[in-house]
Amino acid sequence: MNTRHFFWRLLAYRPVYYLANLLAWTVIHMAPLLPGLITKAFFDDLEGSYNFPYGVWGIAALLVGAALARVALIAAGMWTDASFRFRISALLRRNMLAHVLQQPGAKAIPFSPGEGISNFRDDVDQTEEAVSWSVDTLGLVGFVIVSSYILISIDAQMTFFVFVPLILVVTAAQVATARIQKYRAASRAATAKVTSSISEMFSNVQAIQVAGAEARIVRRFETLSDERRRTMVKDKLMTEALSSVFTNSVNLGTGLILVLAGYKMRSGTFSVGDLSLFVYYLTFVTQLISNVGNFMTFYKQMAISFGRMKTMLQGASARVLTLPAYIGIGKRRLVEDEAHEGSGGQFAGDGNAATPAQAEPLRVLEVRGLTYRYPETGRGIEAIDLRLERGSFTVITGMIGSGKTTLLRALLGLLPAESGEIRWNGRPVEAPADFFVPPQSAYTAQIPRLYSDKLRANILLGLPETGDSLAQALHAAVMEDDVAQLADGLDTMVGPRGVKLSGGQVQRTAAARMLVRDAQLYVFDDLSSALDVETERQLWERLFRDRGEATCLVVSHRKAALSHADHIIVLKDGTIEAEGTASQLLAVSDSFRRLWHGEDSAAAAEPSAAPGGAGR
Amino acid sequence: MSEQIEKLDGTRKRRRRSLAHYREMLEKYVFPQRKLLGALAVLLTASIVLQLVNPQIIRYFIDTAQGEGSLKALYYAAAVFIGFSLVQQLVSVWAAYYSENLGWTTTNLLRADLVRHCLSLDMSFHKKHTSGTLIERVDGDVNSLANFFSSFIIHLLGNLILMLGILLLLFRENIWIGVVMTLFVIGAGFVLQWIRKINVPVWKKWRAQNAELYGFIGEHLEGTEDTRANGAAGYVLNRFYELSRRMLPVRIRAFLGFGMMWSTTIVVFALGNAAAFVVCAWLWKRGELTLGSIYLVFYYTELLAKPIEKIRSQLEDLQKADASLIRVRELLATKPRISDGPGAPLPAGPLSVRFDRLTFAYEEDGEPTLHGLDFTLKPGRTLGLLGRTGSGKSTLARLLLRFYDPQEGAIELSGVDIRRCKLHELRGGVAMVTQNIEIMEGTVRDNLSLFDERIQDEDILAVLKEIGLEEWFRSLPDGLDTVLSSGGGSLSAGEAQLLAFARVFLSDPGLVILDEASSRLDPLTEHRIEAAISRLLEERTCIMIAHRLATVQRADEIVILERGRIIEHGPRERLAADPDSRFSRMLAVGLEEVLA
Repeated sequence: MNTRHFFWRLLAYRPVYYLANLLAWTVIHMAPLLPGLITKAFFDDLEGSYNFPYGVWGIAALLVGAALARVALIAAGMWTDASFRFRISALLRRNMLAHVLQQPGAKAIPFSPGEGISNFRDDVDQTEEAVSWSVDTLGLVGFVIVSSYILISIDAQMTFFVFVPLILVVTAAQVATARIQKYRAASRAATAKVTSSISEMFSNVQAIQVAGAEARIVRRFETLSDERRRTMVKDKLMTEALSSVFTNSVNLGTGLILVLAGYKMRSGTFSVGDLSLFVYYLTFVTQLISNVGNFMTFYKQMAISFGRMKTMLQGASARVLTLPAYIGIGKRRLVEDEAHEGSGGQFAGDGNAATPAQAEPLRVLEVRGLTYRYPETGRGIEAIDLRLERGSFTVITGMIGSGKTTLLRALLGLLPAESGEIRWNGRPVEAPADFFVPPQSAYTAQIPRLYSDKLRANILLGLPETGDSLAQALHAAVMEDDVAQLADGLDTMVGPRGVKLSGGQVQRTAAARMLVRDAQLYVFDDLSSALDVETERQLWERLFRDRGEATCLVVSHRKAALSHADHIIVLKDGTIEAEGTASQLLAVSDSFRRLWHGEDSAAAAEPSAAPGGAGR
Repeated sequence: MSEQIEKLDGTRKRRRRSLAHYREMLEKYVFPQRKLLGALAVLLTASIVLQLVNPQIIRYFIDTAQGEGSLKALYYAAAVFIGFSLVQQLVSVWAAYYSENLGWTTTNLLRADLVRHCLSLDMSFHKKHTSGTLIERVDGDVNSLANFFSSFIIHLLGNLILMLGILLLLFRENIWIGVVMTLFVIGAGFVLQWIRKINVPVWKKWRAQNAELYGFIGEHLEGTEDTRANGAAGYVLNRFYELSRRMLPVRIRAFLGFGMMWSTTIVVFALGNAAAFVVCAWLWKRGELTLGSIYLVFYYTELLAKPIEKIRSQLEDLQKADASLIRVRELLATKPRISDGPGAPLPAGPLSVRFDRLTFAYEEDGEPTLHGLDFTLKPGRTLGLLGRTGSGKSTLARLLLRFYDPQEGAIELSGVDIRRCKLHELRGGVAMVTQNIEIMEGTVRDNLSLFDERIQDEDILAVLKEIGLEEWFRSLPDGLDTVLSSGGGSLSAGEAQLLAFARVFLSDPGLVILDEASSRLDPLTEHRIEAAISRLLEERTCIMIAHRLATVQRADEIVILERGRIIEHGPRERLAADPDSRFSRMLAVGLEEVLA
């Protein structure tokens, strides 16, 4: 899809609002035709060539009346404009957000969240401007037609000589706008750098303060800001040079009128009233042309923004951006939702109603030759084979950087696998990212995120609360005491804008988030890394007791997990080094022995506390 | 009655205060840019003169055209008119260039000040403000101040002079015309000012909603993994819809306010023109004005639209800036709860730590997180701090770095109350590694040295080798110049944690706090870096916060916290040997876990 299609599809999103807006602004822009004629009548009345029936007071009253009418139109125009603009940008933001949420979760946007925000903010704003300014064009056409008719009837030659230069100016300026693109892109890139540096520094504010690196961070920020200043000033110079051509054409036009009018006024074929009308219309024509010029500039800028938004889509069709969708306002249209579902796969497009089709109960999940390498470093996982039986408990372990998290992510579609096959009961899974969601599977990330919302909402994430499902999940995640201690219990606001929970509490909230979803496969990455011994013991205990028929795939190097496992996979440098049960691996795998013994060396070092140690 | 007076008085005071705020900002950021301001002033004066002269040429033209004589004079007049117009265009482009430059130079200073200020604020502030919100504050709000900084003064002043010039020239034509138009300008000014007042709250609300929207989007751009794999996209979108619903009416109201400003100008000008017509017609009948002069009055009245329009749009920007300025000032006025001490020096070498009957609560009158903590750690010793989640271990670490100050009691490092140290010296002397992943977008070098140019590459390489990241380092395509993405990207969580260790190795602290620092490391890696940690802790005091017993095996002393109180404290070996101690019971639980 090119920029033009993108633009048209946005206009067509809410055609009624757009047409209402177009109509309102066309009339608003044509309204100044009237005061011009009134002014001419005034001068002609003075010269005596025309007698206005109600005298100079009548003229004054007409002038004010025309203004009041225009004001009423402007109020309507502002309403339609705000309504239309808002819907356009809400649609774009909604579609981008929905798309991001549909992407492989660990790689949802191709740059930092800070830069992502500038897509959602600046690029959408830019597009909104372009779409909104497009309504001013028709008004210009209407104004030009009517005013030409009036002016030609006064003096055809003069009309021609005044309007032709104006057209030339527009053409020249339009050619010049092409040059702006380059500067615009540079200034946008510099801005993105500045915003992402702000985002970075405040996301890591504690590390910066601990390291006392504030002054150095500010210095770097200043360098980036100055680079932005340079690009912005260049950009502005170009834009301003262009817009001054538009605005100054009224003066040049007036000059041309003077050149031609001298002779005609002497000979009496051109009155002062005529002169005033020419100059008056000239002002509005150039003003409207400069509106069109603005539109062209905005349009070019939108093209750049559109390019950036496409980059964010990571190769998906740009149609995603403009698909009609519910944006939270007005009625939810079924047709649109269906259209969206059709293109978006099994994605829960709107609300909770649309859940992906439930697959048949898991008997066995097989993975063959799963491979993913990070493009930056070339590291990752290679040719992983895996088999999970219903109800089994599988642990993945290995040293840091051995690819444990990558394996989980590639399996769940949170990273796009390069190759490999995943089979659910022998049937291939085509789109793992769409398939591995509840009710098939649920997941706890290694570093879970909480959102600025109530604790309850953070766990349920839109899931309807049924019976005591929430209480059960809280119990299984060993969260119930923590909830009781919070001032507002489950209604406590948590996340970045709420109460800060401890690392362990965040992990257990995420566990509850996973467990409250009735899934057949639970996948958790290093769930207990921030838990104390006692809490961890309870957590595993409850998990083993309550999980029922659920299958578990777990990254851990805790003995509690390893010793319960039906199957253990030891990863090294992205490949499977050894697998088996704990006792088998202790016998055959050197790496496993070291991973296993690393942990209890502390306990072993305590002579008095090791009376039972011999039993090992 | 008296209430009304008070209210009026309050408004006036507020207005005066708001004016004082603007002046303060200008004095601090704009006025020091003398050169740019000077150049702009010259260009604007030129532009004003050119604008005032042109209508005089037209008047001359019309009056000459009405009379007899050679046409030559008319052509000359037209040529001069065109020439002046072209010069004016050049001048205006040039002025825009300077004004943009001024705007960015000054707002960049403000941005840097804001960033510096926010970085100096403590965690109680940063907990409440997401990085998305702060982008909106530091960049969004300052952007809406940009116009105010770049051109407000120049344009406001320039347009005021232009307006006065026009009025003066109208007085020259006829005193009645001058009087009527002056009244008109004054009336217009009042009406526009009044309209402006009405709209500020709406714009403020609109910007606040924007900040909330981008904060929301930022959070969800960071949490895609959790959302995606738990099928929660619907939840996120529903929250988006809810925001949309709340934003639309505010947007419409803001736009209607915007339209009201514009409409007011239109009506005011129609009134102005009408008044000019009536007066001119009267004077024409008395033979006191030529047709050319009437056209001149008409032209000047139209020309008056420009400065008033400009002043209006400047005020409109000011309206947006008002709200932003208020927030920027609020931000700058946010006092860090922690203020820099007078600068008592910390001694070099290992520091002793003393908690002196310390009590601390996060909320001023909330339940204390730490109760009457009282213990001493000798220099060079290692303390193992144990306790369940929520027992106050991490809080204790945050207090040592002065992210918070205790309500009662004190912390002394080698006998110096930490409140008496300079913050950067304290944080230079105390280092902390946590389990949070804090990788910034930037090169490996920048991430390790945190932009400290004094740190040599060789030192970095030596540290990477020591903590066992050598192999990882060799896999990097560009060595130390390899760019890491924010949040770690292709780095595993364990590697990111090792990098955090490396940062501490590169500084030279007297006290090291390891807050669950190795929780993401597998036992083997943990074992491997033990030697490195031993070297790090040589000649240094250390507090190891752990919930795993393995981690505290090197501790000399053990403190066990429960609900913010010390329930056990003593040398590790003695506690381990005492079967009644909590510590030995914990060890037993640990072993059970092993045996299970």
